Amino acid sequence: AQHRCMGRYNDDFDDGEDIAEFDDNDFAEFEDVSEDPAVDVEKDPPPRAAPSSTPIEDDEDEATVENEDGQDEFEDADAQDQDMYSKYDNEEFEGYEKTNPSFKDTLIYREVPAHLQNSWESYYMEILMVTGLLAYIMNYIIGKNKNSRLAQAWFNSHRELLESNFALVGDDGTSKEATSTGKLNQENEHIYNLWCSGRVCCEGMLIQLKFLKRQDLLNVLARMMRPACDQVQVKVTLNDEDMDTFVFAVGSRKAMARLQKEMQDLCEFCGDKPKSGAKYGIPESLAILSEMGEVTDGVMDNKMVHYLTSHADKIESIHFSDQFSGPKVMQEEGQPLKLPETKKTLLFTFNVPGMGNTSPKDMDSLLPLMNMVIYSIDKVKKLRLNREGKQKADKNRSRVEDNFLKQTHTQRQEAAQTRREEKKRAEKERIMNEEDPDRQRRLEEAAQRREQKKLEKKQMKMKQIKVKAM
Amino acid sequence: MTVNNMADPRRPNKIFRYKPPNTETNPTLEDPTPDYMNLLGMVFSMCGLMLKLKWCAWIAVYCSFISFANSRSSEDTKQMMSSFMLSISAVVMSYLQNPQPMSPPW
Repeated sequence: AQHRCMGRYNDDFDDGEDIAEFDDNDFAEFEDVSEDPAVDVEKDPPPRAAPSSTPIEDDEDEATVENEDGQDEFEDADAQDQDMYSKYDNEEFEGYEKTNPSFKDTLIYREVPAHLQNSWESYYMEILMVTGLLAYIMNYIIGKNKNSRLAQAWFNSHRELLESNFALVGDDGTSKEATSTGKLNQENEHIYNLWCSGRVCCEGMLIQLKFLKRQDLLNVLARMMRPACDQVQVKVTLNDEDMDTFVFAVGSRKAMARLQKEMQDLCEFCGDKPKSGAKYGIPESLAILSEMGEVTDGVMDNKMVHYLTSHADKIESIHFSDQFSGPKVMQEEGQPLKLPETKKTLLFTFNVPGMGNTSPKDMDSLLPLMNMVIYSIDKVKKLRLNREGKQKADKNRSRVEDNFLKQTHTQRQEAAQTRREEKKRAEKERIMNEEDPDRQRRLEEAAQRREQKKLEKKQMKMKQIKVKAM
Repeated sequence: MTVNNMADPRRPNKIFRYKPPNTETNPTLEDPTPDYMNLLGMVFSMCGLMLKLKWCAWIAVYCSFISFANSRSSEDTKQMMSSFMLSISAVVMSYLQNPQPMSPPW
């Protein structure tokens, strides 16, 4: 009886659909003959022996339960329901409402949640993200390789010149023996170093190949808005006897304006605005910052002018200084300045042609600039100021030092004062924290005695100064 | 006796060893990008894990990639790997907890 009920259940709910959930004939053998014959008859006949009135259902083995009266079933749905329900015990359907499912309402298709759908399209954001990551990785590999090739091309074209001028070409500072490594140090994926040493007239030369960050996709995109170019920076450090005392710079106007603000020594010694070098024959695009006219005359000889004129587009800045200490350090409030350490230095910054779209062949065009560097090293050794110039230079340097001391004098005094106060406070705290009253008393007395001594010393000093003044 | 007109400027006895520039005295010389990106990556992956936000986790992955691309070769690889692993784990955890795809903000 139960199976029949299930079958009928399905019929009731599947009234709108043709296909039943299961083949009712499977349960035919369980049917009780004593039950209503009309209903049994409807279920008994096998689907294959169905009448032609329902040809569609014949084709399927597991066809609808109703074969003969299939059509009638759908038409007299309401009546049929009433009949079927009345045959059962009321207990069988406890809680079951005699509602008639309306067939006129449209079916509501609930949307299957996206993650249960078996389609990749719903994950399009994720696919986008992964694609972006893959693009980043591809760009990293390509950019890294390009930078590496450019660096190698530069080194290959300059190797001969460097090896003929320096005893040590390439050093990373870690090996025990000072032997040439003969290759560049890779600091980054976009910065390569080369240290050369062992030559007359200089201590050493550090060459930095500062390429664009081709390995970083963000940087590549940013450069599409703001073009930039690769740079080669050469820093020659000199011994004291290799250079006289002067400060000089020449380069593109923008670079000169920037350096004058940024660099400690240019700011202090070259106060005037960058001047044009047309007098010497160099192009208008370049400007000069100099400590005094004599220095400019000395540096701007014919060969130098020739170098500057023929390679003006590649020269960003050239900076000769005996007081080089790097860019101005931002000092924090209340911190006394220490006079920055200076070193005699020649600093060259060259722009690689191509504005970012450089090829390894472009590296050859930088070779004449390296020749200029070597020439400058030898020249600076020979350049000596005359007596007047030397006097002026010395005056300038002592002026700068005095200014510095004056500026920091008040700061240093304040710092010393605060330090003394701190010490006193710390001692007082210690005395207060002392729990033992005896010890407290003793510490207080000791502190008092110390104060007394200090006062006496000061008084003595004042007396001495007064006597000396008189 | 042949006279070498171009005197050899090389002096093997005047060799100075390379000293890496002291970056403590010149903080302007250092590029802060890898450190910032590392920090951002960690912050975003923590956000993604705690608040279960998928887009935070994805941004963390990007940050750790950018930090890696800009890093100096002298830098510790352990630091890089740890931030990288953290961001990947943030993404994986977000999807395990909630397999629904990300919905765009528009």
